Amino acid sequence: MRRIILSLILIAPAFGQIPRTSDGKPDLSGIWQALNTANLDLQDHVAQKGAPAGQSVVEGNQIPYQPWALAKKKENYANRATLDPESKCYLPGVPRVTYIGLPFQIFERGDLVTILYEHAHANRFIYTNGTEHPKGPIDWWMGDSRGHWDGDTLVVDNVHFNDQTWFDHAGDFHSEDLHVIERYTLLDADHINYQVTIEDPKVFTRPWNLSMVLYRHVEKNFQLLEYECYGFDLEQYYP
Amino acid sequence: MRLNSQLLAAAILCATLIGSAAAAEADKNTLSQHTPDGQPNVEGFWLTVVYGMGCLQNPTAGVGCVEAGEEPGRGAPGKPRPKPPKAASRIVDPPDGEIPYQPWARTKQQYLLSNYFEPTKPEFIDPQQLCLPLGPVRQLTWHDVHILQYPGYVIFEHEGGHVFRIIPLDGRPHIGSSLKLWMGDSRGHWEGNTLVVDVANNNAKGRLSRAGDFADDALHVTEHFEFLDATHMRYRAVFDDPSAYTRPWTFGFDMKRAIFGESNPTKDDTHYEQWEEACYEGMKPVDYSLRSERGGETK
Repeated sequence: MRRIILSLILIAPAFGQIPRTSDGKPDLSGIWQALNTANLDLQDHVAQKGAPAGQSVVEGNQIPYQPWALAKKKENYANRATLDPESKCYLPGVPRVTYIGLPFQIFERGDLVTILYEHAHANRFIYTNGTEHPKGPIDWWMGDSRGHWDGDTLVVDNVHFNDQTWFDHAGDFHSEDLHVIERYTLLDADHINYQVTIEDPKVFTRPWNLSMVLYRHVEKNFQLLEYECYGFDLEQYYP
Repeated sequence: MRLNSQLLAAAILCATLIGSAAAAEADKNTLSQHTPDGQPNVEGFWLTVVYGMGCLQNPTAGVGCVEAGEEPGRGAPGKPRPKPPKAASRIVDPPDGEIPYQPWARTKQQYLLSNYFEPTKPEFIDPQQLCLPLGPVRQLTWHDVHILQYPGYVIFEHEGGHVFRIIPLDGRPHIGSSLKLWMGDSRGHWEGNTLVVDVANNNAKGRLSRAGDFADDALHVTEHFEFLDATHMRYRAVFDDPSAYTRPWTFGFDMKRAIFGESNPTKDDTHYEQWEEACYEGMKPVDYSLRSERGGETK
């Protein structure tokens, strides 16, 4: 009996560390942001003018491109200043929207997790009501998201992408067969372990993973603003 | 006695069943449900009853309130379209149904209107044509809006261009007054079945219609979303901007629970999903300096 009580005492603080919804699920509600340079380059990269150095968020630091795809990635890299879809301010796709550098807000309840992003007012509806992906093919910028809980981890399955987005500014790319599996796990009240599996048999030789920590904004009254990300000189239009 | 008891029991049962049926019907028509945090449950898809944003005085008419088929700057097409029925002005106050512009502002509105179809300067382009957010009020006149309710928040997710508004209900102050946003900064609270939203920090770059109607960035909007029953809502937005108007005025229209493209109100939209409507993607920088520089197309 004493051992059980001791165990409960040891477990209780850990159990109480993460917020939970009324139905007992981890509560991801809040404003979050990645604090890294993955948007510049998912892999290890040295500093360049206007682009700080950063450590890889890719497991093993290797993206397993097929030979033709590696050549294309290198070509993309050489021309990234003009070819990166971000420079045109298009919707950035998944998972790039998570680490593109701006905050996003998660709203959670049992049947639907909504994520609203400051970047280009992007939005995602992650249906957690047991529904399946709509029948494809569909070429959406942000894909179709269906989620479920695996223990305390929100697992989000994403399909129906177009082939127009990049994973970063370094030219890492995919085809319309992209399949993204995200895992959101609260480490404590203010940190999410964000793990992603990328599958695309047209481009890669095998699935590969990336991971990073997402940080909660705890500043009083912090909120999303707008980043309309004008793809052309709009200020001259509407001074 | 036993017979009377049976009759009484049957009567009670019958009355109960009728009452239940009536209550069930009432549930469909009244706001009887609340969210877990106590908000009237109005979640679902809502659409303006009269669709169109050519002008505010007669929303179903063309730009500048001329009848359809007589659009200024383009001339009447060879085969005029049938005229839609005249709709009530969306300017519900003042009584004359006109925006009380100050003289300079009326001149500007007319200037923007007269240059709508043949822009000779970039700023003549309605930002809506570039897929930019329309502003908090006009956005409600374009496609449907999915009202989502989470604890402490109401969210408007507009189908048009996936523009959203986050409306906190916790009474927090507005952001700094020098921060200006396309969709403004919204703070809301419930008064019974009416959602009252205070919108500050408007950059006022979005127009109010296609007829040159506009506000200045001193604009302050107070909105009332009065949910009349489960499927009908009355919307009123008071525009207060002493730099552009001689007095506050009210932009108003009715909305119904409906999905864009479907004319009838729907009582069950729970299985409808708002899918991606990327709008900006594919836009190209357009040389709107243009008509004056492209020789033959100069007026």
